[in-house]
Amino acid sequence: MRLTALTAAMVMTAGAAWAEEKTLDIGVSDALTGGGAVYGLPQTNAVKLAAKEINASGGIKVGEDTYMLNVIAYDDKANPTEASNAVRKLIDRDGVKYILGFCCSGATGAVASFIEYEDAVMLVGNAAERSITTREIPNLTRTRPPADYTGAAAGTFVAEKGHKRVAVLGALDVGFYASYVDAFEKELEKAGGEIVSREAFGLKDRDMSPQLTKIRGQEPDAILVVGYVEPAAFIYRQAVELGIDVPRYGFTSGSEDQFTRVATSEQMEGVWDLRPTELTLLSASENGKAYHANYTEEFGIAPSPSSPYSYDQTYALKDAIEAAGTVEDTEAVAEALREIAVPDEVVMQYLPVDDKMFDENGQAYTSNGAFQWQGGNWVFVQDLPSDAAAYSAFLSTLDD
Amino acid sequence: MVEVLQQIINGIAIGGVYVLIALGLTTVFGILGIAHFAHGSVSMFGGYLTFFFVTSWGIPLLLAILIALLVGLVLGVLIELLAYRPVRDANHINAFIVALGLTMMVEGINLELFGHEQVVIPTDFSRVFNIGGVTIPELRLYVILAAALLIAAMTVFVERTKTGQAIRAVAENRDAAILMGVNVKTIPLVVFAISTALGVCAGVMVGSLFAIAPGIGEGLVVKGFAVLILGGLGSIPGAVVGGLVLGITEALAAGFISSAYKDVIAFVVMISVLLFRPQGLMGKA
Repeated sequence: MRLTALTAAMVMTAGAAWAEEKTLDIGVSDALTGGGAVYGLPQTNAVKLAAKEINASGGIKVGEDTYMLNVIAYDDKANPTEASNAVRKLIDRDGVKYILGFCCSGATGAVASFIEYEDAVMLVGNAAERSITTREIPNLTRTRPPADYTGAAAGTFVAEKGHKRVAVLGALDVGFYASYVDAFEKELEKAGGEIVSREAFGLKDRDMSPQLTKIRGQEPDAILVVGYVEPAAFIYRQAVELGIDVPRYGFTSGSEDQFTRVATSEQMEGVWDLRPTELTLLSASENGKAYHANYTEEFGIAPSPSSPYSYDQTYALKDAIEAAGTVEDTEAVAEALREIAVPDEVVMQYLPVDDKMFDENGQAYTSNGAFQWQGGNWVFVQDLPSDAAAYSAFLSTLDD
Repeated sequence: MVEVLQQIINGIAIGGVYVLIALGLTTVFGILGIAHFAHGSVSMFGGYLTFFFVTSWGIPLLLAILIALLVGLVLGVLIELLAYRPVRDANHINAFIVALGLTMMVEGINLELFGHEQVVIPTDFSRVFNIGGVTIPELRLYVILAAALLIAAMTVFVERTKTGQAIRAVAENRDAAILMGVNVKTIPLVVFAISTALGVCAGVMVGSLFAIAPGIGEGLVVKGFAVLILGGLGSIPGAVVGGLVLGITEALAAGFISSAYKDVIAFVVMISVLLFRPQGLMGKA
């Protein structure tokens, strides 16, 4: 009798121990300093915010256990070498199995090249280079659609506006910006238009007046600016200073705050941003408005439009871990990621393929949208063509 | 023709900034023989400081610049006293290593004090002048005028004042200067103070025309050394000519050849000049 009671007590104690709260470390590799920080820092904050919310609502349930998330973030400076080192440190030293963030394509591509051989799952956010999800890497997913998916939609939109001669000024040595422009050009040419000039700038350049002077001399119908927020803001400002008064289109995903640090609202008036339908407060869903408010309260600054890509990653990871019923078996979690539906908590407006958040390539799709600067704010004007299923099928045919 | 003129105006504005950076570098290098790599980061510190005074304390821009200049003068003196003076009589490699270490230190201080975000010094100069199709933003015009004024002031100081003559004497022949009664211990202090103040001016110009951010100073100092070599080591007129040549060449290259290779083209022009004049455009053979 005493032995039975003792055994029962031991089982109960052990059970209580099993149901104890545990900590799951998740890693973030992102640009916290340097040119990419305008995207990387908000992404990192977004992961921290999501983790805090998940912890506050009871953590991640895996069988009897509950896991509270602990975020370990390293600065990869958007640099391939730094990113590889940061991820190695997360995996080898910190024992992290789930790595989020990844705002910038060069750094992301470097990590993607070896992550397949690691006991880890990589969740990519803002990095838009197409090849990241054409390599059939089973333990990698990405929330942001590739740049050419949006570039084609942008080309159609600009052609519909009646523009025939478009001058491009962009960070064209960056692969995903170049692929956006290529897809844009293809659709523009279908409508009888052409790109009359392709001018480049470096990510650290801030004086684009020589390129704009050249563009002014070519008398285009419109200009298209593709690049990081900071140089793009200078281009919009300097275009006004040089008296260029044709419509200005862009692919930048910058927030109002980020632009008005460089250009006045008057200089920005009328500028279009043709991008995935990211967070814009005036057109946000209920989740988006709550995210905006919580982020602003937590960090004392408004979130950037692209930051929810990593916020959404964190909820996708939670759902996948719960569906897989394990935190140890990364293979099972990676498989579960490709099977989950879009989580209820996400901010972006995803277009599921076969009712799943990620397609077989590990790629998620949002709708594309045309936003215009009006009276100091980005205003959502209209949806752009966004055929996720067709693009997903196309993506599956690629192997690079 | 309008496009060429516009590109020249574009080039003069950025060239003016290069000139100020190069003037600071050339005085230090020409007189003390120190490759002061931290000059770009110190310039950025001046720009950050002005930004801070204007945005956090609400100090009017001109007064903020003046305070930043004074801080620059003091900072220059401190750099000479604490960093370079202890290695003045040692092998040149020591000063070289100090310069590299100082660069990292100032960059770190900038990052710690002012953060990683790009900042732009706010100004009220938003008008744009149009002269026969050539547009000149008000701010760029002031930058060009301010650079011209500083160059003139620097020239007058070096050519016409007693301290300036002493600086030139030390640069020409340090031993002879000592024999002539020049206090060679104070000259480096004056040189570093002036050099840093010029750097602060350049930082303010970059910060108002473009932006200040971590890493920008490194790029500027590379351009500054390029100007130094192009114009002639230690030559003040050389720094002026070299800076303007580099700025205008960059603008013309971006406008008429290739924006992707504007830096490459500018450096090819620089190398070509040096093939024919190894001493630089205004250097002594």
